[in-house]
Order: sequence, then structure tokens, then C-alpha cells
Amino acid sequence: MPIHEKSLIRPENLTTHEELVLDGVDVSGHWSTFIETRVVKDYNEDMQDEIAALPGGEHIHRCWQCGSCTNACTVNALNPDFNPRYWIYLIRMGYESELLRDKDIIWQCVSCNKCTYACPRDVFPEGVMKATAHWLEKKGHTEKSPSTHFDEVFTEQIVSTGKIEESRTMRRFFSRTGQALAQPWMIEMVKRMLRGLPVGMLTRMGLATLIAPKTNDWSKASAAIQEYIDEQHDKQVQALSLAELVETAKQDVAA
Amino acid sequence: MSKPVLIIGGGPSGLAAAHSLATVGKECVIVEKEDRLGGAPILSGYAKLVPTGEWAKDAIGGMVKRVEEASSVSIVTGATVTGFDGTPGDFTAELSNGDSLEVESVIVCSGFTHFDSVNKPEWGFGTYEDVVTTTQVEQMISSGQGVRCPSDGRKPQRVAILLCVGSRDRQIGREWCSKICCTVSSNIAMEIREELPDCHVYIYYMDIRTFGLYETKYYWKSQEEFKVKYIKARIAEVTSDGEKLIVKGEDTLVKRPITIPFDMVVHAVGMDPNVDNPTISQTLGIDLESNGYIDVANRYGSMGATSRPGVFVAGSATGPETIDDSITQGHAAAMAVLSGAKALKSA
Repeated sequence: MPIHEKSLIRPENLTTHEELVLDGVDVSGHWSTFIETRVVKDYNEDMQDEIAALPGGEHIHRCWQCGSCTNACTVNALNPDFNPRYWIYLIRMGYESELLRDKDIIWQCVSCNKCTYACPRDVFPEGVMKATAHWLEKKGHTEKSPSTHFDEVFTEQIVSTGKIEESRTMRRFFSRTGQALAQPWMIEMVKRMLRGLPVGMLTRMGLATLIAPKTNDWSKASAAIQEYIDEQHDKQVQALSLAELVETAKQDVAA
Repeated sequence: MSKPVLIIGGGPSGLAAAHSLATVGKECVIVEKEDRLGGAPILSGYAKLVPTGEWAKDAIGGMVKRVEEASSVSIVTGATVTGFDGTPGDFTAELSNGDSLEVESVIVCSGFTHFDSVNKPEWGFGTYEDVVTTTQVEQMISSGQGVRCPSDGRKPQRVAILLCVGSRDRQIGREWCSKICCTVSSNIAMEIREELPDCHVYIYYMDIRTFGLYETKYYWKSQEEFKVKYIKARIAEVTSDGEKLIVKGEDTLVKRPITIPFDMVVHAVGMDPNVDNPTISQTLGIDLESNGYIDVANRYGSMGATSRPGVFVAGSATGPETIDDSITQGHAAAMAVLSGAKALKSA
């Protein structure tokens, strides 16, 4: 039987076989399209704990699905598919495949925190969105987002020097995200800056580019911060079973 | 010499009424059909009570002891009232043991009956051993045995609690909300999580009615501290794949059908009117309300009045009721009896 209302069925749930014979009956081709079941067969009970192990996700288990966050959401007003209430539910119940369908929009949270103030149970949905976006990256479901790259560049610089040297941050950020340094807006900015002949500033910038400025006696603080970062990293690797994930991936590649 | 008060039923409300009367030296007789006092919390082996967390055998056991020690209270167990006649201040009650009592007034504290889950066969009770009721889980906890799957005694890894079993269901003629099951289920869920931290507990609900102060103490706490999961779904059926129980339904928040494997399914059974209510109503000549509970008359003018003057009612005989409120109503009915007696004397 052909399926007329295919628009009602998710494309991934429709399967057409080029060549398939079942019990002697040829069921190949368009006229024998199969519909996969929509039935949820199990809960992934680790999901909530994994999100809760990431910064911002700690209070996800408090949610009782009132929808205040989605109602308050800036992004939802523009894109109805951006639904924090729904994602929180999917994570809590462990509907992983459902969540992954939205993996490419979850990072769009603009952190306006309207949900934070609307939430009657202190779930901190904004934090949950952040944790979820990071979870998707860490699990390899999404590429690192530009904002993650920026955070990393920024953090690395702080840890190593104790100071932020903007031009360095920008250069590294652009290089890591594969963007040209000579962005039109950047060229325009430099042009306008030069009009005022800011000799002192240009000298300082030039010096800072050559010799990275560093906070005095930074090494001890740097070591302490790095230790904390490593500690948190190890915890997350464990909580998200990332080592096992890597191991499985290696075996898959080997096979 | 004034006649005693007849209290029918020795559960929380009857024990409270008897205690109230005893404190003012008013004589009373408790007629209990079972072989001991205590009512459902004792007879059905409840574990920790809502909202105090005290063990039923201590809390209600204490009430029983207090009444048994009161000299003005006489207790008749293993008997029911089979005949009743007279007017306020001058009733005669015939008992099933052949005795006859001259009493001044009556307080009906006949309680409720747990819903029998075999009346919802689609949810697997009576078919699968590991489908149990909240009462059975209470017994597993109160006996010290712990929560185990009855089929093989293993510790469940995943438990589903189905709410509104025998409540809010026109299919089986039970339209009322049994009032306590949401709170009791949250409480049981927390107890399971406490005993078996690796066991995940899911509660399938239509609405959550942990009313009043139970909200924070049970509903919120079960989520915030014990990570109990609540899923808005009325389960269609419970089956088995031979190894696990399979719970089928629709997760309404994601609009998806679900067939989830569980080790144990718990029915949060509701409170039916006492199966004896038709007999009680006929024997005592008092009205039942439309659901079959004993009708309360003159709600704003008296405490626990029934359609027959001199016959009062308290506790879950009047409808689904908490233990706390049953106790309060027992005390209130005793007060109504005493003020009625005073009015009779002055008349």
C-alpha cells in the first residue's frame, strides 16, 4: 500500500527498500514503504545524572513541567521549536533520541535568564541549556560551538598569563574557528582607529603582541586554577562515561 | 445512670471518639468486626504514616492501648451490629454475637475498603506476581522484609507506581478522588529510593494531588531529594515479555506511545466505600450519598450528623479521608454526642 500522508510521518521513520523479499513477496520500492514504530521502548536513566554533572545542570531534577521557562523564553518567541521545558523533560525521562533531533538548535540559548526568574522551582533552565549544549559537544553529537571555542581561548589565556590581551584572544579565536582575521568589520575598525593616530595605544598593542603581558607571581595561581580545571574535567569525563565512549569508538574504527 | 455511646468500628476515628468520651468519663462501647482494634493502618500493616513518618504500629498502636486501658471503654471484637431501633437517648442495638446493648447514641466509624485491583484486569494485578498494590508495598516495608519482587524475591531495578487505580474512573463506577494515594505514593517512592538507591521509581499520574502541606513534604521532596520521576500518562495496559513487566501507555508530554520494561508495578489503590455500607445503612436507618459512602447531614450546624438523629459518623466512612482528619472527625463526633446528650437532658 502506498502511504499518502507521508508528510505526517517523520522522514527518518519511513524506510523504502531497493530490493526486499519477505516470505516470497516482493516488497521493494516506493509502493512498499515501511513505517518505523514511534514507540519509546526504554528510558536512558543516565541522562539526567549526566546533565546534572555539568555546570548549570545541577537542578534539572526539580522540574515539574509547568512551562514557565518556555513561556518566558526569548528564543522561543522567534523559533517555536526552541522549547526548554520540552528538552528538560526529555533529559529527565531519558528520551535521548528525541533530544538529539533538536541538537542543532539547543545551543541557540541567548542566556537572557528570563527563564531563571520565571521558574517556580529554581531549576535554572538557562544553566540546563548551557549544560545540555556542552553535553552534546562532549558526547560528540555536535561540533564545538564558536562560543565554546571562545571560552577555551579565553580560559587558556587567563590560566597561562592571568591577563586578557584582546588582540591575542581574537586572533586565536579566529584561527580556531577557521575564520579570516581580516574581517570587513575588523578592517573598518582599524581604519577608524588609525584616523585618530593613537600613538600610545598602538605602541602598547604592539608591545603586548610581542611580549605577552603577565600578572606578577602568576605561576602559583595558574597552577591552582589548572588543578581545579583538571579536577572538574576528570569528574565530567567520569560522569559522562567519556572514556568508555572513546574506547567504543576506537573498537568501531578497528572493526 | 446514663446509657453508653456505641462506637461502630475501632479504627483511627473510632479510637479518637472513644478517647474523647473517656477523657470526660462518658461510657462507650466499641464494636469491631475484626479480632482487634486499629483499623486499616494496623490490620493492613501500614508502614510509616503521612505526615509524621511514625510507624503505624506505634502511632495507631498507641491509640489502641490508650483506649484499651480506659476504664469507661468496653470493647467487643469479632461482632457487628445486626439490629437497631429506638430514639436518641434510648436506642437498642442487637449484635451478631447475640448480645443486646442499650445505648444513648451511635458514632459510625466503619471506615473504607481498599479497592480490589482485580477489577482493573488490564493493569495486570492477579495475572503477574510482580504487580502489587500500595498496601502490599506498605507491608513489605513494615515487615522489615524490604521491597522485593514477589516472583523471585529480587530487588527491583525499576518500579512503576500507577496512580488512580480504582479512583476517578467512570468505567468502574468510581468517580471520586481517593485523596491520599498521591501523597502515599510519593512517600512509598521515597522509601523505595532510600532502601534501594539504585532502583529508579516512576510515578504515572493524571494529576498530582498532594494537597496542602503535603506538596513540599512529599511531591517536591520526592523529586528534589529522591529524584522520583513523574510521567503524565494514564497507563493503557500492563503485560509481560516473560522476563519483565511491560507498561504501555502514552507519554502525553511528548505525544509518544511508550512500552517500558519494569521489574515491579505498584497500583496506588483507592478507597472504596466500606463493602458493608449497604448493610450498615439499612440496619441503622441512615442514608448513603450517591457514591455509597455514609451521607453527612447538616454540615454547618452539627459535627458528623447523619440523616438519623442520634446517629453520628466520622472518618473514612464519609468518603476518602486521611488518618489525621479521621482522628479529628472522631473527636468532633464525640463532641456532637456530648452536646446532644446535654440537650436531651435539659429537654
